[in-house]
Amino acid sequence: MSTSEPILIQRAQKGDPDAFAALVNEHQRYVYNLALRVVKDENEALDLAQETFVRAWTALPNFKGQSQFRTWLYRIVTNLCYNRLPNLRRSLNDLGDDVMEEIPEPRQDTPAQAYESNETKAFLQQAIENLDAHYQLLITLRYQNELSYDEIASTLNLPLGTVKTGIFRAKEQLRRSLAQLEESWITV
Amino acid sequence: MDNRLEQDALIEGALKTQPLASLPRNITASVMDRIHQEKRSVLVTWHDLAVALVIALSVGALAITAQSLPPVALAKLRIQGILLYQDFLVNADWLVPGLLFSGAALLSALTIRSLIQIAGKQTEQ
Repeated sequence: MSTSEPILIQRAQKGDPDAFAALVNEHQRYVYNLALRVVKDENEALDLAQETFVRAWTALPNFKGQSQFRTWLYRIVTNLCYNRLPNLRRSLNDLGDDVMEEIPEPRQDTPAQAYESNETKAFLQQAIENLDAHYQLLITLRYQNELSYDEIASTLNLPLGTVKTGIFRAKEQLRRSLAQLEESWITV
Repeated sequence: MDNRLEQDALIEGALKTQPLASLPRNITASVMDRIHQEKRSVLVTWHDLAVALVIALSVGALAITAQSLPPVALAKLRIQGILLYQDFLVNADWLVPGLLFSGAALLSALTIRSLIQIAGKQTEQ
């Protein structure tokens, strides 16, 4: 794609369908992935992704560029997910913001040798997939869509502390699963 | 503690290397099809204008009719209106239960559909 995104957005705002098609091409995989992680159903995720772009087209004249286009899209798909899963919004709000421990920065120097083990790798991927929808939403926005904590808070209209708490608890849940795996190795 | 750090590194590694789901099919064409069908919403649609026109014509026609009626007919209408109002006041036994029933029917119509949808979602989960 040779044309830059702001120009495509401007053209799409003026009603250029080709420019909007280029934007859809660019972002569809991330939007679909986010929907899939939350609703866990391919067809439903595909529907949500399509609906997201149709709504984006309708609302595009109101897009003022105060946030990034992609975070704006993620906000739309998240709102659609809220409609599909009425408990999702409540689960996020119920997280509170009482995280006691700072989220540790990833250590570059820690050799993750065990991760080389295919069993651990597969186990952790499965544990991530099994996380609840509200944790999936936070984790996907953070790690796959690569949003900062502030961007996630703004996208989901949640306090920053709640976002941090949610990601912290999701990791805690993964840590517990990992500990169980390690215990099973010891007992075998 | 070392074990915890190692676990953190493992989890961080797993989260960062989690693959993006691949799209079953490109959705651009279907999105563009729907966009061509659904025009952007504008503040006032032709439908709104048509409804406004019909209402304006009806009000106008009513006003002209009222003005062109002979005074006797207007007086008769007024008397009939007063009689009807009096009849309501005297024989209004059915009014309160009727209003309650209508309210209940309206509330049911508004809530049952969304309750069914919520129940459907909960069973899906």
